[in-house]
Amino acid sequence: MSEIRVGDYIVLTDRRYTENDEWAKKENGVVRVGITDYAQKKLKDVVGVELPEVGAEVGAGEPVAAVESIKSAADIYAPVSGKVVEVNEKLYDQPELVNEDPYGEGWFFAIEASNPEEYEKLLTPEQYAEKIKED
Amino acid sequence: MGLLQFPLKELHKELGASFGEFAGWEAPMVYRSTVKEHLAVRENAAVFDVSHMGRLLIRGPDAYEFLQKMVPKELGKVKELSMSGPTALLNERAGFKDDVMLYRFSDEEWLMVCNAVNREKVKAWLAQWRGRLGMRVEILDRTFDLAMLALQGPRSAEYMERLGAQADVLDLKMLQFHPQAEVAGEKTFLVSRSGWTGEDGFEIIAEPEAAGRIFKRLVELGVEPAGLAARDTIRLEVGFVLYGHDIDEETNPLEARYWVFTPGKTGYVGYEALREAMRKGVKRVRLALKMKKKERGIPREGHKLYIDDVEIGRVTSGNYSPVLKRGIGMVYVDAGHALVGLEVEVEIRGKRYRAKLDDFPLLKR
Repeated sequence: MSEIRVGDYIVLTDRRYTENDEWAKKENGVVRVGITDYAQKKLKDVVGVELPEVGAEVGAGEPVAAVESIKSAADIYAPVSGKVVEVNEKLYDQPELVNEDPYGEGWFFAIEASNPEEYEKLLTPEQYAEKIKED
Repeated sequence: MGLLQFPLKELHKELGASFGEFAGWEAPMVYRSTVKEHLAVRENAAVFDVSHMGRLLIRGPDAYEFLQKMVPKELGKVKELSMSGPTALLNERAGFKDDVMLYRFSDEEWLMVCNAVNREKVKAWLAQWRGRLGMRVEILDRTFDLAMLALQGPRSAEYMERLGAQADVLDLKMLQFHPQAEVAGEKTFLVSRSGWTGEDGFEIIAEPEAAGRIFKRLVELGVEPAGLAARDTIRLEVGFVLYGHDIDEETNPLEARYWVFTPGKTGYVGYEALREAMRKGVKRVRLALKMKKKERGIPREGHKLYIDDVEIGRVTSGNYSPVLKRGIGMVYVDAGHALVGLEVEVEIRGKRYRAKLDDFPLLKR
């Protein structure tokens, strides 16, 4: 898997990104969502999450989950519209997975996208790398 | 306005600290992980740079009399080379100007450690009363030429010994201090057995160069460097109040249940108002909040407490407890609902979570 490095932060090239530091990855007809390496390093110590209900209809840009760190609580927005088909309940007991493996085991939820165009409008890895470089 | 800088900033950078603003200072907030730093304080030992704390030397022929007038704790009971324990400066309405710690070198010489956020206010308050009372004291701000470290945790004494602290430093009892103690071959301003964590520990006040070498040496010995974020989660578990959040000028020691005064002492600034508050009783009470097991919400400052539709109080500090592995908070509750054990709901980002009113310290040993 190839990646872009921006300082200490890793941006994977196999997925898309949002301005709010979520990642979205197309897999087998669903879009899996999590927060970026940059986001988890900024938050540090993730100690809790809130996840949406499976079956919930969500619109792109709506707050649908939350992540709690020692530092602060942050909303997580749906990158695309559709139906929530899976949530990572493992995070309830092991929220630290968000820090340990933000792009893998630390995923939050998966959406069956209702409008495929929305995915294509998300930031490319290069665009996202550029965004965090400016920070 | 620019932020004040810690004298050991470069060392903290080298150790990988992230910085954040605290009380006008650019402070080391976290090194590796707040949770790890927190657990080090509870299980082993950690060292904090607390150089932002205000250090005011108060000396002169009237120092004892002056301070007796300024704080509600009876200072006659504070022995030489001992600390007063937490006390306060109250305004005339018995609200907190600040909560402070006093160190007695002698009748004529005391050190006051105050909150960073209040340093200028405290200096002005003391100077104002010195004038009104016609007291012969000088107030010297030593905050910027001295640094202050806090080594905290059950194994603190062991690390002090390995650091090469002179023997009588190791013999200090809680709230005693040793002026000009030698530690790791470094001359200090003082070393005290004290802290703000509910654990054993030592606080070292020294010139920045010496403090930097001591800090570094402690880290080399295996002591975890800890930032102000861990200091906050640590103090919350044991119920220590943070000025500007849990107490302020509008809060009195009774509702805060913060025993900064000696019953029977009279005549200090704020005494009449405090006495009146005692006669009348209080309208709200500071308690602890503990989320029910498996409740995932984390209470934070400003969140409201409910029973059904009735708002009964509010969170003034809150976070995650790495020891209890759930959200905890400090709350003020209407007196009629200030019942330890009462189940309440906290509203966190529009959702209700179940919690219980409890009492500090939340860590029972």
